[in-house]
Amino acid sequence: MTRRVYLDHNASTPVHPEVIEAMLPYLGERYGNPSSIHAFGQEARDGLETARERIARFLRVGKDEIVFTSGGTESDNLAVKGVAAARGSGHIVTSRIEHHAVLRTCQTLERQGFAVTYLPVDEHGLVDPDDVRRAIRPDTILVTVMHANSEVGTIEPIEEIGRVVRERGIPFHVDGVQTFGKVPVDVEGSGIDLLSFSSHKIYGPKGVAGLYVRKGTKMAAIQHGGEHERRRRAGTENVPGIVGLGKAVEVRGREMTAEAARLTALRDRLTEGVRARVPEVRVNGHPARRLPGTANLGFRHVESESIVLGLDLKGVAVSAGSACTSGNVEPSHVLVAMGVPLDWAMGAVRCSLGRSTTAEDVDYVIECVEPIVRKLRAASPVAAV
Amino acid sequence: MRYSPALIDHFRNPRNAGLMPSPDATGESEYAGCGDLARFYLRVRAGRAADVRFQTYGCGPTIAAASAGSELATGRRVKELMGLDRDAVEEALGGLPPDRKHAADVVAAAIRAAARDWVSRHV
Repeated sequence: MTRRVYLDHNASTPVHPEVIEAMLPYLGERYGNPSSIHAFGQEARDGLETARERIARFLRVGKDEIVFTSGGTESDNLAVKGVAAARGSGHIVTSRIEHHAVLRTCQTLERQGFAVTYLPVDEHGLVDPDDVRRAIRPDTILVTVMHANSEVGTIEPIEEIGRVVRERGIPFHVDGVQTFGKVPVDVEGSGIDLLSFSSHKIYGPKGVAGLYVRKGTKMAAIQHGGEHERRRRAGTENVPGIVGLGKAVEVRGREMTAEAARLTALRDRLTEGVRARVPEVRVNGHPARRLPGTANLGFRHVESESIVLGLDLKGVAVSAGSACTSGNVEPSHVLVAMGVPLDWAMGAVRCSLGRSTTAEDVDYVIECVEPIVRKLRAASPVAAV
Repeated sequence: MRYSPALIDHFRNPRNAGLMPSPDATGESEYAGCGDLARFYLRVRAGRAADVRFQTYGCGPTIAAASAGSELATGRRVKELMGLDRDAVEEALGGLPPDRKHAADVVAAAIRAAARDWVSRHV
């Protein structure tokens, strides 16, 4: 049987066994609606609130400042649209490399009359805090910058950006989906008013996430119904999912620091191994300020999807930097913003390592990559090698 | 699996891949939507494509389509290849998903261009 190696942890992760175990009672006997006042409801409420406390403790914030949602995308939408709706008009500052959950939300708000500044990034994908300072206007109502980029792993200087934003008294939203539970997030020290985080990137279940909302932040609800989540997000809470998220956070609290060091070493073993064997490879992203397990490798003159397919046939799961939909290939908006030349950007492959990744896995991937790229280049009319 | 066994086989073991020195004809096609590129080379003997080679840049299905197309073209009369239909290439691959139909288009167009190149100089 072909060896199976999963290097797509930035897309999703397997649910941790302790998380499954914690969730099971809430898929079984503890099925009550947490809004119900009877015992069945209160059992579910207890599970919900325990998870909320765990997350609040992990982020060192207040329990009432955590709002549960259905996913990172909803958290980003709630933060950006919620602040915009509370203000009614104004200007938003964001970056060109945000996740589409933020970018397309901002574009939608532009069509509704809001003004948006999309900040550039440098060749490593970093936003310059001085650019944020210069972009802020008297009518700026929100600054939203991601903590780490999912494609290249670059970690943004959110502490410095947060200082700039706080000086001006503007709400600061951070999309922390790729960093929450992977590297420390200093909510207070970074002046964060809203922080999106997700469950399935940290070995929790899919379909559940959260938004930290600093007390006093003006944010309107964007979906309406009952009184759930202190009227900030209507809809019966996904209790088993939230319990799972709470457990996942507890486990990350134990494992995060050691795991980050281990993954950084494995990530560097991967990039060095590939670079030693394959000519014309570049690492996209910041050399040092980068997520522990993320390696975005650009193979010149090869189309990334053909590498992904080649590796898939060897049992290795990675993701392509360029997305082909119905015969249209768009190079990644992140790599374009970083100024990566097209002949490199089209061959970008993201490897994201996780808990289960071993040194043997990494060595196997290095072995697999070389002949795949060599064969593709041999058949390519654009490659010189 | 998203792709047929025939497609996967051609992708894994592309037939006739690589440059042909001093070909009798060449033809190229690029799919503007995604930049996929196929180039075909023909060695022609007695009006037939005695040897066919290709180079291609693109996604897995395009590479597989080029391999399948090279097999389809080998031994055929060059004049016939001027009318090679994209459906024949897709059929040889055991079908293509709806969002990868362009793979057969770009390969069939490149083979037709190579055939036209030879015919324009020899007929």
